[in-house]
Amino acid sequence: MRKSIISGVVAAIAVAVLPVTMATPSNAYTNFSKCSDLKACGGMDALVKAAQKEGKLNVITLPRDWANYGEAMDLFSKAFGIKITDDNPDGSSAYEIQTIKSAPDSKVPDAVDVGITYGVDNANLFAKYKVATWADIPAQYKDVSGRWYGDYNGQIALAYDTSIAKAPKSFADLKDPAFKNMVAIGGDPTGAQEALMSVFAANLASGGTTKNVQAGIDYFKALKASGNFVPVLANGQNLAAGAYKVSFSWDFNGPGSIASAAKIGKTIKYVIPTDAVIKGTPYIMAIPFNAPHPAAARLWTEFLFSQNKGMLTKDLGSTAGLTGSKIFASIMGGQNIWISGAAHPITEPAMRAKGLAIDPPAGFETPAGAKLVTPTPDEQTAAKALLKDQWPAISSK
Amino acid sequence: MKNGAVANQSEGTIRRSFSISTKSSPLFPFFIFVGFFLIWPIISLIIRSFKGNENEWTFANYLPLLHGSYFHAFVVSIKLASITALIGAILGSFFVYVIVNSAGPKFTSVLDSICAVFANSGGVPLAFMFIAAFGTEGLFTKFLKSVGWDIYAGNFTLFSFTGVVLVYSFFQIPLMILVFKPALQGLRKEWSEASINLGANSITYWRHVVIPILTPSFLSAFFLLFAGGFSAYATARAMTVGTVPLVPIIIGTLVDGNVISNQTNLGDALAVGMIVVAGVAMSGYLIAQRRANRWRAA
Repeated sequence: MRKSIISGVVAAIAVAVLPVTMATPSNAYTNFSKCSDLKACGGMDALVKAAQKEGKLNVITLPRDWANYGEAMDLFSKAFGIKITDDNPDGSSAYEIQTIKSAPDSKVPDAVDVGITYGVDNANLFAKYKVATWADIPAQYKDVSGRWYGDYNGQIALAYDTSIAKAPKSFADLKDPAFKNMVAIGGDPTGAQEALMSVFAANLASGGTTKNVQAGIDYFKALKASGNFVPVLANGQNLAAGAYKVSFSWDFNGPGSIASAAKIGKTIKYVIPTDAVIKGTPYIMAIPFNAPHPAAARLWTEFLFSQNKGMLTKDLGSTAGLTGSKIFASIMGGQNIWISGAAHPITEPAMRAKGLAIDPPAGFETPAGAKLVTPTPDEQTAAKALLKDQWPAISSK
Repeated sequence: MKNGAVANQSEGTIRRSFSISTKSSPLFPFFIFVGFFLIWPIISLIIRSFKGNENEWTFANYLPLLHGSYFHAFVVSIKLASITALIGAILGSFFVYVIVNSAGPKFTSVLDSICAVFANSGGVPLAFMFIAAFGTEGLFTKFLKSVGWDIYAGNFTLFSFTGVVLVYSFFQIPLMILVFKPALQGLRKEWSEASINLGANSITYWRHVVIPILTPSFLSAFFLLFAGGFSAYATARAMTVGTVPLVPIIIGTLVDGNVISNQTNLGDALAVGMIVVAGVAMSGYLIAQRRANRWRAA
């Protein structure tokens, strides 16, 4: 009994000390472009040290109000003293891939956040790196060798201007003539993931299955015929101009949209529709093989997949003199930051089981007992093929 | 004698080619610019349009253009460009006639500036301008409603083919005014006086003098407007979210989307298709322009 405790303690000390002792001598020749997990990179202290030495991190197409990325970037920057450059915040996944292929070496992104098909189709562009929370990522959403892995997903919500007479609760509600000239979508479903998932959600609400989105297309057709659907791009500008009042939106765009709408005197509310809860396939995170700041890239990824509850930017004091692992342990991890931005991080189920997850912002709770449906990549491909022909036809007179 | 002539001739040739290169040297930056931003992109675009995802040579990217939704998109794009160019050309030349015949030089130059601004408006700002003015809660919509005309009472919507035609006219008409005005100004008083002296009335003068002289200029302007309307992208995209299928918008979703990956080569093929259509329009423009210039030189 006693012996086992002692040996346990010894083992624990050994485990705690080992990476440090191993890291110190190996640090000089760790190849951060190749190390494929935290241990291989020499442990957190060594990784932070190397990342700080690089001093910079290139990210790409991360809007500040998208899933609370603004907070994630600020916190990372402040905690580790690493300057973040965000190239083309409103760009697309295709742009991210193109930049990896063609940008000059120093401008290549250190990490990308792209639609899942872009990860699968371009796996050869990415370095193998497994984050510390690897085991909590569901198997269907990660590459076995660690080239890419799901980071978070969104659910389709109804976003509406509270000035309208009737508050919508479901897709069925929007057929009401009270919503004439009011309903918009966030893009062309053959080009925007959010819009594609909106069609899936409408489809589900209309009795369709994920195998065939015809009912969803018909839903929009009917809404167009009744004049309720306005094919204007749902964005802040057009909302301000009053061009639409209700839109289908990722829930994780909610907190940002609500805040920016408030600045122009509009009150927006988000509600998860009662007749369909579509959970999108996750976006995926990957580190390009040619990342110019490989250590910072790995630290950023560890940070985004960390399940820590710790401090946010506003609470964080100076981190000067602290070891890398101390800093890392003291700040909130990306998984919880995404929850605070109304997104659904990939390890959330595991975090809930372990009691590590924070609560989502008020108003963004998924209705109790709702059945979450996620279309598979193959089903999405089939839907796109159908939409390619049918979406342009919904408005023909 | 013979030798001397040859020597002279070659000396002349040498001098001429030398003088050409020194004269055109200030244009080198321009040639570099054109090379980088026009010639090179076109060549690499054409090459990529014949490549598959594994970098292999293929014609497969062009097959979808010949039928189905991509073919339909070309039809709609050409229809949109033709209608807006026609509206622009007809209304624009009418305005030009009024301006040339009744506006003073100061007023004309003010109009020129205004037209130049409008002709160059485009993209998302143009779409937003119309949304803010004629959208469901637009300023004009509200004003018209207050005087008893609810434009949204019927089937009208700005976010449709008709709406896009309306918005495009906003830059097509001023563009027509700018490019067509010189032609109308070039009509000489002497010609009308000569016709009248020879016994023509104003109808015969128009039929036999004005219309034949102006037709090439009118056509060249029409082709120019067509090319502009055919290639416009952001405005229509912001107003229709893909419900009006236009080739540039489809290219956009293929090469710069978040949904369809690895189909950029198809987008390249569509772009080459657009170059071909635009090339036909521009050839029409050049031919018409050459005929029109005959009168200007005279």
